[in-house]
Amino acid sequence: MDALTAGLALVGLVALTTVAGLLIRAREGRAKLLANTVRVTPEDLGLRRGDLPFGSSATLVQFSSEFCTKCPATRVLLTTKAAEHPGVRHLDIDVTNRPDIANRFNLMQTPTTLVLDEAGMLAARIGGAPRPEALARALDTALRRDHGNYTI
Amino acid sequence: MATTPSNGSGTTNPLAAKPGTTGIDPRGPRFGAVITFILLGIDVILGLTGPSVESGTTWAVRITDPAFILLLVITLVFAWGTFAGIARHPYGLIFRTFIRPRLSAPTELEDPIPPTFAQLIGFLVSSVGIVLALLGVPYGLVVAAAFAFVAAFLNGVFGYCLGCQIYVLLVRAGILGRARA
Repeated sequence: MDALTAGLALVGLVALTTVAGLLIRAREGRAKLLANTVRVTPEDLGLRRGDLPFGSSATLVQFSSEFCTKCPATRVLLTTKAAEHPGVRHLDIDVTNRPDIANRFNLMQTPTTLVLDEAGMLAARIGGAPRPEALARALDTALRRDHGNYTI
Repeated sequence: MATTPSNGSGTTNPLAAKPGTTGIDPRGPRFGAVITFILLGIDVILGLTGPSVESGTTWAVRITDPAFILLLVITLVFAWGTFAGIARHPYGLIFRTFIRPRLSAPTELEDPIPPTFAQLIGFLVSSVGIVLALLGVPYGLVVAAAFAFVAAFLNGVFGYCLGCQIYVLLVRAGILGRARA
């Protein structure tokens, strides 16, 4: 292959990788709001029923793994957020040794964050390090503060 | 227990590295990834213009191919980063000596374990390229170098650690992690 074609092939590789990187960046940390139809139990997360691990008004469930660059920063963000709201609790679940949990929640990356309402119903899911504004919106949904989406 | 409930009142800094390890400046591995993807890009060019894309080459041609020699060097540096740890990486030494003094203090320190794992992934992918090149498989070296290039480019330019992010997929596939259930 001549040098010009090889150079063009590399330019193509750079272009494709850049597009992939931009797509990843655009998708990362956004909240996918769910319809509160799926209930998550402590048992689903590998916890015992007696642990009472969920918050009284909402729960932020973070899935982490052993080799995870963004898990520590996510832990700080979620812990801070939970501390701002009474009744909101943060749980950090390490799925490194629990492929069953990773499969149950169809985890594609870590960190992944689930936002549960007071009944443990799934209100939102955030893949990757959560954007603060996406997290705030997801938590508002779980706390029924989204004004207009009341379900009584 | 695989869970750590936290209520926000913890006194320890959650960003701090685990006991027994030292937190590293996250810009160090990223700088290393930039050097790595530039070298891998050069290697893709060398591979495409060299004998590694042809079949029926002799051993002498395969091991004196500049693309092979460069990928071997890249693989050995990945091995260094993997087995000596990212904190003793040669590119990290360049970063600390020439780049770090010109920058402001890092806003946070990073656990060295994930970037060391990224070095392992790089080592495995480039090793596949080395083996395929030695076996004389056409385009084997170029394809492996291209995969490693994509991972290093995403890490260097976007700060995205592909191997770390999709680690959970390897756990689910049963390749990594120690299943207890």
